[in-house]
Amino acid sequence: MSGSDGSKTQRLPRRSTKTATGRSPSLLPENEAFLEGVIDNLPVAIFAKDASDEFRFVLWNKKQEQITTIPKEKALGRTDLQIFSKESAEYFREVDESVIRRGKLIDVPEEIVDTGAGEVWLHTVKVPIDDKVMERKLVVGISEDITERVRAREQLERLNRNLTEKNKELEVTQLQLIQAEKMESVGRLAAGVAHEVKNPLALLLMGVEYLSTGIDPNDPNIEEILSEMREAINRADKIIRGLVDFSSERQLALEPTELPPLIEQSLLLVRHELTKNGVNVDIEFEKELPKVMVDGAKFEQVLVNLFINAIHAMAKSDRPKLEVLVYSEKLDQVPRDEGARTAHHLRSGDEVVILEVKDNGCGISEANLRKIFDPFFTTKATGLGTGLGLSVVSKIVELHGGAIRIRNRLLGGVTVRIMLKVTKTKEAD
Amino acid sequence: MAHKVLVIDDEAGFTKLLKMNLEKTGEFEVRIENNSMKALSAAREFRPDVILLDVVMPGLDGGDVAAQFQDDPMLRKVPVIMLTALVSPGETSQDAVAQSGSLTVLPKPVNLDKLTQCLLGAIETAA
Repeated sequence: MSGSDGSKTQRLPRRSTKTATGRSPSLLPENEAFLEGVIDNLPVAIFAKDASDEFRFVLWNKKQEQITTIPKEKALGRTDLQIFSKESAEYFREVDESVIRRGKLIDVPEEIVDTGAGEVWLHTVKVPIDDKVMERKLVVGISEDITERVRAREQLERLNRNLTEKNKELEVTQLQLIQAEKMESVGRLAAGVAHEVKNPLALLLMGVEYLSTGIDPNDPNIEEILSEMREAINRADKIIRGLVDFSSERQLALEPTELPPLIEQSLLLVRHELTKNGVNVDIEFEKELPKVMVDGAKFEQVLVNLFINAIHAMAKSDRPKLEVLVYSEKLDQVPRDEGARTAHHLRSGDEVVILEVKDNGCGISEANLRKIFDPFFTTKATGLGTGLGLSVVSKIVELHGGAIRIRNRLLGGVTVRIMLKVTKTKEAD
Repeated sequence: MAHKVLVIDDEAGFTKLLKMNLEKTGEFEVRIENNSMKALSAAREFRPDVILLDVVMPGLDGGDVAAQFQDDPMLRKVPVIMLTALVSPGETSQDAVAQSGSLTVLPKPVNLDKLTQCLLGAIETAA
């Protein structure tokens, strides 16, 4: 701030007297000194080059000295080529000529300049100015040192890249966790699956025994035996293929899928557990259900987990009953209550397919309901569960852009509700 | 006279072929009951010499059925052979074995020779 007495700025001109002479103020030596003072002390670098004289520098302020580490005496009267590297100088010349040719301002948001102190990033604006007094064309440049800003941005970009990498690693780890949990399920299912395979094997052996005692072409049993054997082979094949598909490790591959066959296949994997525990299964599928984007193997993992949980919860039930319902509806409210995990992809008005798995087991206490999706949270005895099941289930549902909610039923037991957005494909209808 | 074998197993195809095989030997008369809930009435009516009993069945399992037989003064004396596709012996319900009064557990798949030997052995021991 200039004091009213001008004491702080020694070179402040006495404007009131001199301008009264009517001469152009810019020609006054006091004014020149004043402007030089202003220009020198501005916090931006200012320079000017004479386009009529090989773009030699005619102005070079203090900030420009600081940024370039080139003193004014070494710059004035010289060209870019004499004070900067050849590469920089040629680039500057190109811009300067363009400014003069077009007679317009040119904004260079970022340029690198080699200086004695290393590389410096500048934001430079160059303007053409007609110096009528000296009858010359000038290129006046104003530069701001943005090195720190650029460095900060580069660091931010680096951090961002790191973060993206870490995120990818996390995704890989999550998929590995999902797979690990699945292999554990496979271990648990193995005995049941073996049982389901041994039954057709027992039938096949009976068939072989019958046929190996001699084949009478008139024996009416033979046709029936062969047909039973064929059916047994298909049955064994189906269950083994089901287990192999279930255990396959793949990247997430979402495809338009019909849920009912997937549910049937998952029920087949737990059939042994269902039979062993005397569980009645009640299935209700809406006719002509729309398809949903689903990774078959991963969604089977969800289903198997839910079925096994239900079976465990119903261990003490009198008439254990597992209900599986699938229907579609237009979503009017996105669930946000306790025991819910909602992905951000669902909106009111979306068409969704809803899968409900209901049991009439022991239910879940309100306190546990809050923790039910936490990893390693389990109420099962050591060795019976890792506490990863539902956490993995919710992760898989999230990967599908769906929502899951678990609620106690009024008359006992639990309803698990999964919502998946309906696929809008061109082929559909 | 042919020995009477009652087979209680929910696997319809398997029991059908089992019956064909046993009856082809001429030594056995076989009755099948695929519904374990009807096992008791089938046994009371058929009066078998030996019973082949599956373990994992919907409704009543092998253990439940064996317990029903133990409660019946007539059927208590009939030897029971457990036939199961369960993998590890530990999985076979210990209760079922104890309640059946029979320690014979045959794993599926079983070949005809072994099965026949087992049936005849059990009948002989009981007699």
